[in-house]
Amino acid sequence: MTMKVGIVAVAQISGPDSKDNFYDQAYRVTKEVLDKAGLKREELGTVVSTASDVFHGGISCANAYYWESVGAFLKNGTRQDGESIFALSYAAMRILSGHYDTALAVGLCKGSENPENDTITQFFTDPFYQRPIGVNETMAAALQMRQYMERYGVSEEQCAKVAVKNLGNALWNPYAHRKGRYTVDDILKSKRIIDPLTEWQCAPKSEGMVAVLLASEDKARKLTGKPVWLKGYGCSLDAFYLGDRDLLKGQLKNASAVAYKMAGIRDPRKEIDLAEISEPYAFQELLWCEQLGFCGEGEGGTLIDSMATQMNGDMPVNPSGGLLATNPYVSRGLQRVAEAVLQIRGQAGERQVDREVNTALAHGTHGFAGQCHAVVILGR
Amino acid sequence: MGRAVAIIGAGQSRHGKRMDVCYPDLIREAVLAVFEDTGLTPDDIEGVVSGTMPSMMEGVAMTHFYFADAIQAVGKPILKTETCGSTGVSIAHTAYYWVSSGMADVIMAVGHEKMNEGDSQATMTTVMDPFYQRYFLSGAPGVFSMQSQGWSVRFNIPEQKVREAAALISVSHHDSAFDNPYAHVKVRLTIDDVKNAKIITYPIRLYDVCPNSDGACAVIFASEQVAKRVCKTPAWVKGVGYRGEEQFFGDSDKAVWPSAVGAAKEAYEQAGIINPRRELDVAELYNPFTYQEMLFYECFGFCDFGQAPDLVLKGVFGRKGELPCAPSGGVLCTNPIGATGLIRVAEAAMQVMGKAGDHQIPGAKMALAHAMGGIDQFNGVLILGSEL
Repeated sequence: MTMKVGIVAVAQISGPDSKDNFYDQAYRVTKEVLDKAGLKREELGTVVSTASDVFHGGISCANAYYWESVGAFLKNGTRQDGESIFALSYAAMRILSGHYDTALAVGLCKGSENPENDTITQFFTDPFYQRPIGVNETMAAALQMRQYMERYGVSEEQCAKVAVKNLGNALWNPYAHRKGRYTVDDILKSKRIIDPLTEWQCAPKSEGMVAVLLASEDKARKLTGKPVWLKGYGCSLDAFYLGDRDLLKGQLKNASAVAYKMAGIRDPRKEIDLAEISEPYAFQELLWCEQLGFCGEGEGGTLIDSMATQMNGDMPVNPSGGLLATNPYVSRGLQRVAEAVLQIRGQAGERQVDREVNTALAHGTHGFAGQCHAVVILGR
Repeated sequence: MGRAVAIIGAGQSRHGKRMDVCYPDLIREAVLAVFEDTGLTPDDIEGVVSGTMPSMMEGVAMTHFYFADAIQAVGKPILKTETCGSTGVSIAHTAYYWVSSGMADVIMAVGHEKMNEGDSQATMTTVMDPFYQRYFLSGAPGVFSMQSQGWSVRFNIPEQKVREAAALISVSHHDSAFDNPYAHVKVRLTIDDVKNAKIITYPIRLYDVCPNSDGACAVIFASEQVAKRVCKTPAWVKGVGYRGEEQFFGDSDKAVWPSAVGAAKEAYEQAGIINPRRELDVAELYNPFTYQEMLFYECFGFCDFGQAPDLVLKGVFGRKGELPCAPSGGVLCTNPIGATGLIRVAEAAMQVMGKAGDHQIPGAKMALAHAMGGIDQFNGVLILGSEL
């Protein structure tokens, strides 16, 4: 990228449920992020929101419902579906095109008004082959986990350690939905959802409204003393049918390679200081770490054993608690971005990691066994 | 405006009630057609923008998963843009910004809908909030009837005159559809046929309303460098405009419709258009309802408010008029919603590229494409020109 796009401010509301309605929550994060930047609604350039019809309380055309709540009344705006990191990249494109000097990216999901996540993910399937056998996101993940353990000899205990770490980290995060001190044994003995996945290894269904304000280089420097720059972006979509894919060699390697190239990163383990990864299922954090190049193929289990990804490790992963703590399906990617921004700025409160964070990675995934991945590199 | 962007080709499926193909194969028809039109291959595409109407329409959620292969997006970055009825133009805007930003040189936009596999009016009723509006704003015709009635009363247009003008629009578009090989509804109508057709929602009758269509459309956008290399007659993007309004129908003016006025104004300013009626050669409006089409003429500055029916009756917006509108037969004859806005963009591009076949407007150099959506909330405009 020849031009730079900076993140000026972030805001989030999340948790299990709340008495506030969708409009109020959407309005509050929007207002908060604009106030932090000292920007009036009238001065805001464009709004790119993300919400999904299926994760939207039974209301179709999600953007029709909340348009004015996110400050977009009579503005040029648009919506992305499924993955809120799409909104971040599209907002950046709108700035890079020279049309706007500020853009608001918003992710909106009120999980408490939705049915169970997997009731919804079943509708990702085609109606002819996969739907009649009841495939959903958790079932696809269970197949992937079994394959992961068998091919590389990663143990159930090593996978469970991810949940121990992330739910523990979440104790320090006021925005987290689930949190607590658990042992590997607690995680493995929790209710079995789909073998080999147990309840605490599967992300919950959460509320999450996240707003990220972006600006062109000049404008970002005017609006904040601590801009965080968008250094790289990569995204890649996999084939649809699970049987057509090698579930352990998906598209994340491709997506991250593009992002690393754009950011000039050659050795991600050394050059990236912290990662906020979307891990709807505990083992996926290990698999994604491999594909992001934080360790070698099949070494995810060793990585978690080494304590490197702990909050005080040399490569902290998900100090926020990640998705196992908080999972607003559509907004979760943008929430990773917001958390990475806070860490870079040293504004992450009690969950601020010990080491200095100059470069951070935020990752989003949606679809069965990671059908789509998006990777963002952020830096000072 | 950032880097210059052009449309270098478009592909459409044959639209209609397509029970002969499954949904992914319907999309493949349009995608194969755009590769044939441009001479490019899937390897040339750097990223894909996909979009449709809500999941309830066909019962498949996040369709970019299911159609990843059909839209040639495997191993590529994707953006999934959805803004209700205006989705098609929003997809085109996304592809434009993507290329204009410098993040890619060649982006394919794909829009699709297979409406005969679902219940479109039931789906659209779920767009309304569940507490206040859902109980009485059933489906699309109710909303658009109210809007048209409000407009004609506001400007004191005699009911009979509006009826005559709407009937003429219907006859003319249905005639045009015969010149468009992709169009869905092809019937020859007389003015009396339209005026005596059964009532859907007063004053709208059967032939004032679009059909439920199955269809797909794919359009390839390219940077200046690529466009000049691979395409003899690129259609250059001259302006992009979009505006959205609030959810509660009735809170803002729907006759002098701020989102329609604002979207067009934004696009005109970028394209340097001062007098649209004179400077545009053709307009592919989003016209699912004949009555509403006249409202767009006024909001887009083709004529003064309240004047549209008179000008329609004079033939100003007919195929041989001063500013031909919807020479493809328009949305009135073909409406696969997620694709419809993109079909407007494709048709506008074909016009300025001189590739519109039997419905070509001779010498068209500047064209407008438009889509509308939500509960009368969203309007998107894209202007294309034959000159950079």
